[in-house]
Amino acid sequence: MFWNLTDSTRKRQSVVCRFPNGKLVLYCKGADNVIYERLADGNYDIKKTSREHLEQFGSAGLRTLCLAYRDLSMDQYKSWNEKFVQAKSSLRDRDKKLDEVAELIEKDLILIGCTAIEDKLQEGVPACIETLSAAGIKIWVLTGDKMETAINIAYACSLVNNDTKQFIISSETDTIREAEDRGDPVEIARVIKESVKQSLRSYLEEARRSLSNTPERKLAFIIDGRCLMYALDPALRVNLLGLSLICHSVVCCRVSPLQKAQVTSLVRKGARKITLSIGDGANDVSMIQAAHVGIGISGQEGMQAVMASDFAIAQFRYLTDLLLVHGRWSYLRLCKVITYFFYKNLTFTLTQFWFTFQTGFSGQRFYDDWFQSLYNVIFTALPVIMVGLFDKDVSASLSKKYPQLYQEGIRNTFFKWKVIAVWGFFAFYQSIVFYYFTAAASQHGHGSSGKILGQWDVSTMAFTCVVVTVNLRLLMSCNSITRWHYFSVAGSIAAWFLFIFIYSAIMTSFDRQENVYFVIYVLMSTFFFYLTLILVPVIALFGDFLYLSLQRWLFPYDYQVVQEMHKDDPHEYSMIRLPERSHLSPEEARSYAISMLPRENSKHTGFAFDSPGYESFFASQQGVCVPHKPWDVARRASMKQQRQQPQRTGRS
Amino acid sequence: LSHLPFCFFSGSSPPICRPCEVRTPASGRGSRVELAAVMDEAGSSASAGSAPRGGRPARSGVFYKFTQQDLPAWKPAMTPGYVIAIFLIIGIIFVPVGLICLQASNRVAEIVHRYDIDCVPDAYRSNKQAYIKDSSISKKCIQKVKVQYHMKAPIYVYYELDNFYQNHRRYIKSRSDKQLRHGLQYTDSSCSPIERSNGLPVVPCGLIAWSLFNDTYDFTRGSMGLMVDRKNISWRSDREHKYGKDVYPFNFQNGSLIGGGKLDPDIPLSNQEDLIVWMRAAALPQFRKLYGVIEEDIQADETITMHITNNYNTYSFGGKKSLVLTTSTWLGGKNDFLGYAYLITGSSSIFLCILFALIHVKIPR
Repeated sequence: MFWNLTDSTRKRQSVVCRFPNGKLVLYCKGADNVIYERLADGNYDIKKTSREHLEQFGSAGLRTLCLAYRDLSMDQYKSWNEKFVQAKSSLRDRDKKLDEVAELIEKDLILIGCTAIEDKLQEGVPACIETLSAAGIKIWVLTGDKMETAINIAYACSLVNNDTKQFIISSETDTIREAEDRGDPVEIARVIKESVKQSLRSYLEEARRSLSNTPERKLAFIIDGRCLMYALDPALRVNLLGLSLICHSVVCCRVSPLQKAQVTSLVRKGARKITLSIGDGANDVSMIQAAHVGIGISGQEGMQAVMASDFAIAQFRYLTDLLLVHGRWSYLRLCKVITYFFYKNLTFTLTQFWFTFQTGFSGQRFYDDWFQSLYNVIFTALPVIMVGLFDKDVSASLSKKYPQLYQEGIRNTFFKWKVIAVWGFFAFYQSIVFYYFTAAASQHGHGSSGKILGQWDVSTMAFTCVVVTVNLRLLMSCNSITRWHYFSVAGSIAAWFLFIFIYSAIMTSFDRQENVYFVIYVLMSTFFFYLTLILVPVIALFGDFLYLSLQRWLFPYDYQVVQEMHKDDPHEYSMIRLPERSHLSPEEARSYAISMLPRENSKHTGFAFDSPGYESFFASQQGVCVPHKPWDVARRASMKQQRQQPQRTGRS
Repeated sequence: LSHLPFCFFSGSSPPICRPCEVRTPASGRGSRVELAAVMDEAGSSASAGSAPRGGRPARSGVFYKFTQQDLPAWKPAMTPGYVIAIFLIIGIIFVPVGLICLQASNRVAEIVHRYDIDCVPDAYRSNKQAYIKDSSISKKCIQKVKVQYHMKAPIYVYYELDNFYQNHRRYIKSRSDKQLRHGLQYTDSSCSPIERSNGLPVVPCGLIAWSLFNDTYDFTRGSMGLMVDRKNISWRSDREHKYGKDVYPFNFQNGSLIGGGKLDPDIPLSNQEDLIVWMRAAALPQFRKLYGVIEEDIQADETITMHITNNYNTYSFGGKKSLVLTTSTWLGGKNDFLGYAYLITGSSSIFLCILFALIHVKIPR
């Protein structure tokens, strides 16, 4: 007759049913804490037993729900329904009014029992998290589940293990329960806040001591959503942040979407680190938007997370690829492109600068106008684009194999001032070579006709050397050179020659007074041109070559070490090479078979069990079976019905 | 993405796979299409750009490899072996080339004789400017020079100027190429300040033409004169295409300020080779320009007498004038620079090669 929508703040869902004999019953299901708040007094045994069972389920890693009911009389329902209709049709604050109205009927419930669902993690998640931790990324888990479930998830992800020292701040301690039983909200708040404050302070000291005495011991911090509410107070926030930053992993359970966003902002602004959030549901949207980089997993829960995110991926484990492979390559490419751009323009401009000393400081340009305009557009543009698209220091699989390579990005090794200063120094050195060597070499008559070269001839010669050198320097700084690099470098140099051949051969009425007519043809008829064209780029690149080889020899970067370790590996392609069925182990074969199954389009399904090791109803329909586990057999034997119906779980 | 030390993931709805769908095996084609889309999604490079939806995506082909950044590549790594080899190659190539260039340069016999001080009579040594500006004083000057080495024809005669900034910005743009080619109706404002004189346009206009060098040189050997060929001293492309055959000097050097030589108004610009040579602006403040070619040999120990008319005023700005007689080889005039540069680069390259080889052997990585 009516049903309330479920959402993450309400964490429950109710439906009013009318039986054929006219009886009205309200059924409600939801998270255990919200249901327990609304139970009627009495039935302490059931409540206690259920609570124990819930804890057992939680420790086993299952996700739990409580079910409760309430009998309604017709009058109660009618009077309530009026208010409900009014709330539903109100124009302002509809959600709030609906909430309030729902509160009126969802009370004095009688507990039926609780359910537990096994919900495995997506394939590859633990490996992914381990890899990311090895890369130096700190990983926090923010979940709406209970603490036991959350700790289980953390164990499954290898964020926490039995050696880890755990700091737990929970709102289910005895002192807090006693205060709750007393029922005064102000008192409860005070007690919780006090206990949170004490815990934070003592844990912080303990963590610092542990870090200095036994630095190898990992630390984990686990906090409840309710305590988090008080811990995010400005007074306690500093301690919270301090403790979380010291710990290697942080788990926050029972957090609401708003708290997720608050925690993310806490780290983003308080610790001033780069943050990334990843989630797949509508309740993750605020967290995704609060972080620097938000990643949505397109999945069963719909596309809200994807639409709010900066990047969308299909499975969680693709995060390793995204960060360690593409993120790292992006960083490397960006740094190369930016530093190279500055270098080539600096070289080009400084060459002109040295010329001004010999023009009486009158400001005469060394190069023709067209040379200058087209330098960045045609003659040196395309190769750097190729580098920005294709440069890879190590292949994708090696990037994932050595996650420590990621630290280069964290430490910003390729864009420090030192790196830029080195580029600047070589730009300076090369510009001196270009100017003075060309000028000195062109001093006296050339060729057997004795003709002298003038201003524009010298400048064309110098410009040719600049274009050739700058393009070759790019090749020297590449880590992987594809055929497009060759095309673009050769193409740029060829474009320069083509341009100068055409430019020197035409005289239009729009010419200014620069006298570049026929310059290149005369130049190319002398031996001087070719000798200088070989000499000057080699000398200019000599310094760079020396520096790069010494750097790789004596002070190699991490990626260079990895490159040389694996330099004899055959080139592998990054796409999945689907091997023949016969080469796969049974696990891999099953995994492959499952991934080949057709996917469903509709939103409402309850099935999430197709990770390896668990039998999927649909997989068995297609003939892909898994060896039975004993507890699985027992479980299924104990089910009353013989059909395995897909269960509808209303996600909360 | 690569600066990340923190990663939050939400555990409340932990990442779960999309569930399988129940489809009857009869829907063969449809599920294949889904499959293709699924497989593409499962590709490790999460860029979903290249596969056309609704068809089997191409997994090979140049375009696919391009968009998936999967091209075969050469991965150069400058390991010590390569570095040593490259230095060796550079050394082996450059040293001989340098020696060849030096040898060519050494075969050139060059005589440079500065005459602007010597050609001023003693009476005017303290006031050279007055001397040069006074047109009543004879500017003829005789200088003798002894030839040390045998000079084979053709011998090139240059005049060399120093401290003359032909590359100054106001100077170098003060000309009108259109006018030089097509005649006086194209007189341009780019020629200022030498655009018009007494209301009439000047052909050729501009400062470069106005400051035309006008010293003349004659040579005698003993009692016999040496013929200096004044033709073909300018670039042929200039003569044929930049300077008009039917453009004549007009109203040239008629103003109050005389900047240089005068031009014969009956000779078209394309034949005024001195002008053409002068108009090709030099790159540096010390430059030489071709005056003529002597087509006879000069033996060693001969004395050449130079008959110079010292017309050109370099005294106002502290410039120097010299007369240069030089032979030429395949490489051109005397220029040790290329040879030395090659030699030094080649030898330092070989030195580095040996050094690195020693280090590599003694201290392996």
